[in-house]
Amino acid sequence: MTAVRIKLTLSLCLWLLCVACNLQAQIIDVPALKSRVTDLTQTLSRDQLNLLEAKLAAFEQAKGSQIAVLMLPTTQPEDIAQFSIRVAGAWKLGRAKPDDGVLIVVAKHDRKMRIEVGYGLEGAIPDLTAKRIIDEMMAPSFKQDDYYTGINNALDQLIRLIAGEQLPAATASTAPADMAASLPLLLFAALIAAVVLRAIFGSLLGGIVSGGGIAALAWLLGVGLSAAILFGLVAFVMTLIGPSGLAQLAMLSSGGRGGGNPFSGGGGGFGGGGASGNW
Amino acid sequence: MNKIYLKLFAISMLLSLSSCGYNSFQSLDEAAKASWSEVLNQYQRRADLVPNLVNVVKGYAAHEQDVLTEVANARSRVGSMQVTAEVLNDPAAFAKFQAAQAQLSSALSRLLAVSENYPNLKADQGFRDLQAQLEGTENRITVARNRYIDTIKNYNVAVRSFPQNLTAMMFGYKTKPSFSVDNEQAISTAPKVDFADKPAHN
Repeated sequence: MTAVRIKLTLSLCLWLLCVACNLQAQIIDVPALKSRVTDLTQTLSRDQLNLLEAKLAAFEQAKGSQIAVLMLPTTQPEDIAQFSIRVAGAWKLGRAKPDDGVLIVVAKHDRKMRIEVGYGLEGAIPDLTAKRIIDEMMAPSFKQDDYYTGINNALDQLIRLIAGEQLPAATASTAPADMAASLPLLLFAALIAAVVLRAIFGSLLGGIVSGGGIAALAWLLGVGLSAAILFGLVAFVMTLIGPSGLAQLAMLSSGGRGGGNPFSGGGGGFGGGGASGNW
Repeated sequence: MNKIYLKLFAISMLLSLSSCGYNSFQSLDEAAKASWSEVLNQYQRRADLVPNLVNVVKGYAAHEQDVLTEVANARSRVGSMQVTAEVLNDPAAFAKFQAAQAQLSSALSRLLAVSENYPNLKADQGFRDLQAQLEGTENRITVARNRYIDTIKNYNVAVRSFPQNLTAMMFGYKTKPSFSVDNEQAISTAPKVDFADKPAHN
């Protein structure tokens, strides 16, 4: 073989080796969270999915706690517990302070399932109870290939357990962070302050006073120091721009929000509590 | 005029230096202590389950004396260690703590392996409940350890990066230990499965 051919063959072998190394045991990516029941195995019918979604959405409206179901073929090469805590950390089910999220993971091909319980619900759903739900409600149905009944019964039991627990009341809106709600309100307040102060003090001084005032107000409302400084800066800039510029900005900002609210986690944390089982 | 600017410049340099990593050390140090407390909590939870487990197993397998004693001894060794956040500043104490917990882990797995020979014990609801609780606790320990390792990584990187390491040296912030794999050698040798000796008891 000529020198060129040898080099080509060697580089081809090297490349194949690299590809082979990468093909080994890739851990599964966390699936995107779009709805409360995610079925990547196409086991549940559309009607069954809708029924479960409706039940979980109603429960969240009533109680505030978020339960989600994930069905996928396998979690290999990871253990189901390792995979579940990763998903729970990424999805952040449940509200941030009470940490009241629950995640059910069913690995159909592995024949394993896990109930992952958030920090705040470890009293309502201790490990033993989760194990009992798995053994008594999910495993028997799954053995009969009836996944819907198993999941439905498990969800009913979880809802019953969480309903008995003292949690902060569910808020009417489903917006996750207070920042999203207070942003247009604060911009509007900045607008008014800017116009008034600019008229009284002139551009620069008015800007400084309104910027400082809005920052202090935002910080008192609890949006966090860096966000408060940001609002202050915005108010300062807006006062310098003047009323016409402000009107344009106000229209832009109010048009930004709105649109449908897809399901998303509320920032809840998980500590590894819950139980695994198989069928 | 120049003197004023020089003074202002000097003051602003001092102000920027004084927070050169010092403030972040405070929050990283607190985060490290908090995640360490969580690890200790979960290990304590496991230690609390052990006496019940030993009692249940004794009820069915009283003559498995060596395993039961091993578990009881390992648990008391763990219980007698006074562990606080100060352990993080002392690598020898940290290693001792890790060794004691690893001993309890291996004693527990021996106990559970032995209980496989006793079908009545395995069928006992109390034993199965304890097994579920133990599994849950082991999982929590794993999660707490992983979070601790991540937190310590951030802290150690901050302590070792330039120029924060100068601030760290000035104020006495050293790198903190992380968990290593216990018994690396034992894990790398495959366990021998031997069906010859023990016949199934009742």
